[in-house]
Order: sequence, then structure tokens, then C-alpha cells
Amino acid sequence: MTRLLSLTLVSVALASPVAAQQTLNIYNWSDYIAEDTITKFEEATGIKVVYDVYDSNEVLEAKLLAGSSGYDLVVPTSNFLQRQVKAGIYMPLDKAKIPNLGNLDPGLMKSAAAYDAGNAHSAIYLWGTTGIGYNIDKVAERLGDAAPTDSWSLVLDPANAAKLADCGISILDSAVEVMPGVLAWLGLPPDSTDPDDIEKAMAALTAIRPYVRYFHSSQYITDLANGEVCLSIGWSGDVFIAMDRAAEAGNGVNIGYTIPSEGTLQWFDMMAIPADAPHPDAAHAFINFVLQPEIIADITNYVFYPNAVPASKEMIDPEITGDPAIYPPQEVLDKLFPATVYDARTDRLINRLWTQVRTGQ
Amino acid sequence: MMRRSPFLPLICIAGFVFLYAPIVSLVVFSFNESKLVTVWGGFSTKWYGALFRDPQILGAAWVSLQVAAIAATVAVILGTLAAYVLMRFGRFRSRALLTGMVTAPLVMPEVITGLSLLLLFVAMEQIFGWPAGRGMTTIIIAHTTFAMAYVAVVVQSRLTGMDQSVEEAAMDLGARPVRVFFDITLPIISPALVAGWLLAFTLSLDDLVVASFVTGPGASTLPMVIFSKVRMGVSPDINALATIIIAIVGLGVGLAMWVMVRGRNRDKAVQRTE
Amino acid sequence: MPRAQAPGMSAPALWRWTAAPLARLGLSGRTLVILVPVIWLLVFFLIPFLVVAKISLSEPMIAQPPYAPLGTWDGLRLTLDLNFGNYAFLLDDPLYLNAYVFSIQTAFVSAALALLIGYPMAWYIARSPEPRRTLLLLLVILPFWTSFLLRVYAWQGFLRSNGVINNFLIATGIIDTPLVMLQTNFAVYLGIVYTYLPFMILPLYATLVKLDDSLLEASADLGARPVATFFHVTLPLSMPGVIAGFMLVFVPAIGEFVIPELLGGPNTLMIGKVLWGEFFSNRDWPVASAVAIVMLVVVVVPFMLLRNAQARAEAE
Repeated sequence: MTRLLSLTLVSVALASPVAAQQTLNIYNWSDYIAEDTITKFEEATGIKVVYDVYDSNEVLEAKLLAGSSGYDLVVPTSNFLQRQVKAGIYMPLDKAKIPNLGNLDPGLMKSAAAYDAGNAHSAIYLWGTTGIGYNIDKVAERLGDAAPTDSWSLVLDPANAAKLADCGISILDSAVEVMPGVLAWLGLPPDSTDPDDIEKAMAALTAIRPYVRYFHSSQYITDLANGEVCLSIGWSGDVFIAMDRAAEAGNGVNIGYTIPSEGTLQWFDMMAIPADAPHPDAAHAFINFVLQPEIIADITNYVFYPNAVPASKEMIDPEITGDPAIYPPQEVLDKLFPATVYDARTDRLINRLWTQVRTGQ
Repeated sequence: MMRRSPFLPLICIAGFVFLYAPIVSLVVFSFNESKLVTVWGGFSTKWYGALFRDPQILGAAWVSLQVAAIAATVAVILGTLAAYVLMRFGRFRSRALLTGMVTAPLVMPEVITGLSLLLLFVAMEQIFGWPAGRGMTTIIIAHTTFAMAYVAVVVQSRLTGMDQSVEEAAMDLGARPVRVFFDITLPIISPALVAGWLLAFTLSLDDLVVASFVTGPGASTLPMVIFSKVRMGVSPDINALATIIIAIVGLGVGLAMWVMVRGRNRDKAVQRTE
Repeated sequence: MPRAQAPGMSAPALWRWTAAPLARLGLSGRTLVILVPVIWLLVFFLIPFLVVAKISLSEPMIAQPPYAPLGTWDGLRLTLDLNFGNYAFLLDDPLYLNAYVFSIQTAFVSAALALLIGYPMAWYIARSPEPRRTLLLLLVILPFWTSFLLRVYAWQGFLRSNGVINNFLIATGIIDTPLVMLQTNFAVYLGIVYTYLPFMILPLYATLVKLDDSLLEASADLGARPVATFFHVTLPLSMPGVIAGFMLVFVPAIGEFVIPELLGGPNTLMIGKVLWGEFFSNRDWPVASAVAIVMLVVVVVPFMLLRNAQARAEAE
């Protein structure tokens, strides 16, 4: 008995310094990884993973800004990442430790470098677009076959919005997500920070405001699937989840997703390591692990968001790679634009006008 | 005894229907075949199976229960002390300060409470090395702090309502204040303590915002896990968990009632034979 | 009458193990009892609160943390840089005033509704014989141990246009087209009343349960009708519970965020939501802090003055 005890003590004493080295605290979006990715990583490296999830960039940002969050790896969206890099939140990646960075598509990495100069602090995890999810049958019923389902006019033209009002329109509750698309529809530069342009975009939104049921950034997933709303300005992957849900429920709801031809936002969720991360080596190892084609292919198969590793394409379900709404063809890709990062004053102006659009105050 | 009008039980029943309508719906949908919690897709118990295979939800539920039980207990002790001091100690130097501090947490918006405590914990860790990292301990401290405000309000109202002459009589007879408190005051205010504990427990169990701020890696409470799944719509395994909680508590309450009723009947029987 | 006994350790033992050793250090029991809650709140409420007050006086910036330091110390000279602009800003834009007013109004109406529903329930529970009383009390709180979000989702299921209530009303022919109930102020009132109902019932119960029956009987014996007894005897005696319950619903409901977010419509302009936007969308921690401080002052200061006046009146 005593020997057993002392043996255990010795092994604990031996194990603890190693164990302290070999943990990794990950903070990622909820439902944003394949079911077995973590297990595979633990098996491959012997590193124990503590995996927590968040539901919004804002919550993640608040924690990071308060300092010493305790996390080793986080996955913010690119426009948030840019500001956080500026605030000095992330450490530069030690690229020698991540040979698989070479697997990433140079074109997409160049787009992502708009947020993080030289991709110094971050690597693309997955990416997507902001577009329109709609109930195919209900929209056809109300707008006829001539419905402009490839254009922002589908919702931004008040005549169309009025016809869809009774079956429900929802819009993401985030000015910076919605406004660039509206600017593009108006023929203005989508990254404009000119207050006049911003006012024009807001006026366009105010015009359809009476027909909008609500502004929310996640509620529409369930509501689209249930048929409670019939058109949502939302995120690509979320609309696909709604599609999936509706198919699963067999309730006869058919949902489509469109990337409007005027162009829309392309965003990247980026893996980055906080400067005060307790286990940076393990975090580097994880980034390297995820960027293997077979691993990232699993993730895309599971969450329906495209990744940035071209070699993974052949391992992805052809239904996903073949869907132009998920993997858009080059001519559509060319029309996507990055999210604008506004200075504090413009940010405030936009959000204030947004409140005005939303509440009429 | 006063005559009872039928009016009161009717309102009471209506009140309970109001309270339980959503509960009935969530219990029903825990047996729903479909993943959509709002559309009926046939009877199934598969979500119960899914629940027991999901260590994340079960782990979070366990964390939440521990936090709520500890925080509620500490909050009742501290809140009762604060209320007692304010109602019975007359004037003392920090009186105005305590009055303010014990009420203010009620009105502080959760975001601000969470953020300010997070900043405090970060600073404390840098200066004193405690609390090392954040997790259950910090959630318990945060919950205790805002829950004790609720407890204090409830206990204060009970202390205002009670007849002070009994306490005074005991003091006059030479009982130590501690004795008077434990032997006389405490039993009289015990309904308020029970009410306060239940409120504190509920507050802690349901808190999302404050806990998300002050937690650290690896310590997720149940509301945090549920909220993170909200993007996809609430999945029915959470309904299953809620149903199980209700069933367990309901069973426990029923059992306690049964024991009490039986004990009373036996007492009566004993009295009768004597 | 059950035997009155303190739970847990007996009083003398407690005294021997806790207070007595400290009393030897020159701290009286009385001081100690005061110090425990005071110190806890000083550390975990007042200091964090002062941090918030400090943030509300600073300038936002892109940094970690996202606001400028309040002053500089160059070894000899302390330069303070206080920015009251955040408060001026709140006064400048009618949005904030409107949100405060709307929130207080919503909270007040909700608290009043909760009182109307909660009082009869608390009264009935308190007047019930044991063990039914305990059973009913637990039944009041039990729904709240499920999960807040589940309950809100269940309400959404009732209120939506193809939900239970509308289907019922249409089936019975009372209405033809579904009522829009979700994303309205009605849904917000309903959500707040539902969520906060136990916070009304429990303090009321705690007061009512120990109400002296003999007073009610005396009133009835003197020929007072039940209604008169209620307004002249019961209600005045239960006032502390009414005030406590009202406070526990009214005060936290002012800053409520989640309920208006999930049940309210775009016009529901609650201050909690405005603050959330300042904090998360604008990343303006200083303005968000100022919003909170103003709210605290508006609500707590009148309350403290009231309490102090009460205490003074009692002392005299």
C-alpha cells in the first residue's frame, strides 16, 4: 500500500512539470470544428486540450482586452483581429514552427493580409461571406419568377421588401456587416468612410425598415428553418445550417443562399496566439496540425465553411466544393471585398445611425 | 379562522399555469424526434441518450450546481449579516457606505459587474498572485457578491416586519447578543433565509453574462454552454437536461413531503394512544 | 409550533471558535459582525466600482485595456487627465435619456404587474398549512432551475405567429389573422414579469408567513369585511415585503438586456441594450461605464436617501 502510494507520488511529481507544459487552452466559435479534430490532435501530440467556445467576436474581444485571458489560441474574425493586432494583443507567429503555413492559398492569404500586415500574427482557419438567405418558395410566391435573387435588390428595393414583409425579413444586427453591401448596391465604394455615403446607406436601410421584422445575428438560423422568416441578411455558413435543419425536420422549407452580384463582404476567421498565452508552443503545434489538408478537410465537411488549403479540396464532399455559394467561382470571388476597419469616430457614427435605423430614434 | 373566498385559489392556479406553461412545453419537446425545438416530429427519447453522451453539457451542469450551491450559501450568510447589522446595530461609522454597497449590485448592469470584477481579478492576480487564473472560485465570488444584495433585501424586509420586543426581552434577561441572534432572531427570520437562499441559488444558476466575464479556461457554466449553442437554435438535449432536473427536484420534494406527512401522522397516533 | 433551533453549530460553540479569539485581539463581536460584510463588499464591489468610475473618466483608445490612463506620474509631478466628456456626451444625445426613461417605465410597469400576480399567490401560499406551504413555495421556484434560455425559447414558441396561442385563437374563431406578439413590447413585459415573478413572491411570502393571525381574526371579529381587513390590516403589515419585492423586480429590470434582446422588437430601446452596444459594438468602455454610473446614481441615491431618512425616523 505505502509503496503503491509513493509510486503514485513519484509519478505525479515526474508527470507534473511535463503536464504543465502539455496543455493547450483553445477558445473557438461554438460548433466550429470537426467532432474528432481535438482527439486526433491529442493523440498525435500528447498535448491535453481544454476547449472552450464563444458565440460572438465581441465577447472574445472584451476578454482579450481585459488581459491575461489564459487562452493560448483564439479565432477572431479578420476585422476584429486587425484592431486587436493594433492593440498589441497577439504575439507574432514563429513561422519556423508552422511549416504547414505553406499549404495556405497565397491569394486568400493576400486578402487576409489586408487585416494583418504580412500575415505576421495569424493564419486563416475558415472563411465565408455575408449574403442573403431566403425561403425559395415563399419568395417566388410573392415576387414571381422574376425575383432578383442574385441581387441586393431582393431586399433593399422597398417594393420587394414590402411584398416580403408579411412572411418576415431579418437583418444581422451589426452595422459594419450590413453597410458595405448596401453601399455596393448603391454603386458607392463599399469601403467608403465618407459620412455622406454612410448616411445614404442608412437612408436606404431606413426605407425598408418598416418591412423588417427584427435585427438579430443568430435568431434567423432557426427562424429560416422553421419558416418563421423568409429572408435574412446573414452569414453563409449559418444559412447552410438553416438549410440542413429544414431538410432534417422535413417541414417542406427550401432555403437558398445568394452572394449578390453587386458584391459582398468576404471575411476570414483567423487563428492567432495572445501575447500572454501560457502555452505558445502548443498553440503553434495546433495551428500546424490544423493546416494539414486532411484535418482541415474534415472541419469543412463538418461546418460547411470553406477553408484556405487548396490541397484539402479533393478530400471534401463534392456537394460542398461544387456549391458556388460555398466555394464561389473566380468571377464571384473577384467581386468580394474585405470588411472595412473604421476609425473610432466613424465607428461611433455608424453605430449611432444604426441605432436610429433600428429604433427610429 | 377567516373565511376563504374561492377567488384566491383561482388566482393562485392561474399563476401556476403561467409559471408552468413554458415548462410543460419544454418537457414535451424533450421527447421530440425533430432537432427543431418548435416543430413536433414524433416521440423519441434519443435526446436523453445524446445528453448522457455529451460530457460538455454534463460537466457544465455539475460546475453550475456546485457554484450555485456554494454561492447561495455564502450569500445567505453575508447578506443576513449585512441586513442584521443595518437593522439592529443602530448607528455605526460605515453605515451609509454599507447601505449603498448592499443595494448597488442590484442595479449594476451585468456587463459592468462582470467587467469590473474581471479587471479586479486580473489586477489581484498580478499583485497578490491570487486568484491564480480564473475559474470556479472567481465565479463563486462574483455570484456571491450580487446574490447577497438580493438576500439582504429579503432579510431586511423580514426584520422590519418582526416584533422586536422578544429580542429585547431576551437581552434584558441577560442573554448574550450572539445567543439572542441564534436562538430567537434566526428562527423568526428563517423563512426569509430560505427565500433568500432559493433566490440566490436561482440567480447563480441562471447567470450568463457575469460568469462569462469572470471565468477562465476549462470552467464553463451551463448557461454558457447553452448560449454558445444558441446560434444553432436550442438543441433538445438541453430540454432533456431541464426535464431531468425538474424530475429529480420534484421527486426529492415529493419524498420530503411524504416523510413529513408520515412523521406528523405518527406523532398524532402517538398522542392519541397516550 | 416546531421547536425553535438554530441550524448547524450551537451558538456558544460558534462563539468559542470564531469570535472569542478575535475578541482577544481587541475587536469586539459587534465590530466583527459589521466588518465581515463591509470588507467583502469593499473588496468585491466598491473597488471594482471605483475602477468603473475611473474608466468612465478616461479616453477610449485602441490598446489593452482599451482606454487611456487617467494621469501620468513623471517621478515628481502627477498630471491628472480627467475626461468628463463621456457624461456630457450622454446628455447631448437624446437617445440615452429616452432609453433611461423607457427602461424605468418598462421596469415599473413590469414590477406593478408582478405585484398584482405575485401578491395573491404569496398570500395563498403563506396561508396554506404545512406541508402544502413548502410544496407550493418550491413549485414557485422550480421552473427557474431549468434554464433561462429554454424558458425564453418556450415563450417564443407560444408567441410566434404560428405558435400555440395564435393557433388556438384562430381555431376557436376569435381571430382570423395571427396576432404579432413576438418582438413587441408586450413580449418584453411578459418576459420580465415571468422571469422576475419569484423575486416578488418570495419576499412577500417571507413577510406574510409570519403575519400574526390574531390581528386578522380580531379584525374579522369586529365585523370588518375581508376586503377592509385586507386594506387596513394585511396590506400595511406586509408593506416591508411589498417594498422588498417591488425593489427586487423593479431595480434589476431597469438594466435588463437579455429579455428585450430575445423577445423585444427593434423599437424596444432599453438602457441595458444601449450599454451593451456601447461596450461591444462601439468598444467604448468609457461611455459604457458612464452609462452604468449614471444609472446607479439615478436609482441608488434616491433609495439611499430614503433608507437613511427611514433609519433616522426610527432612531428618533
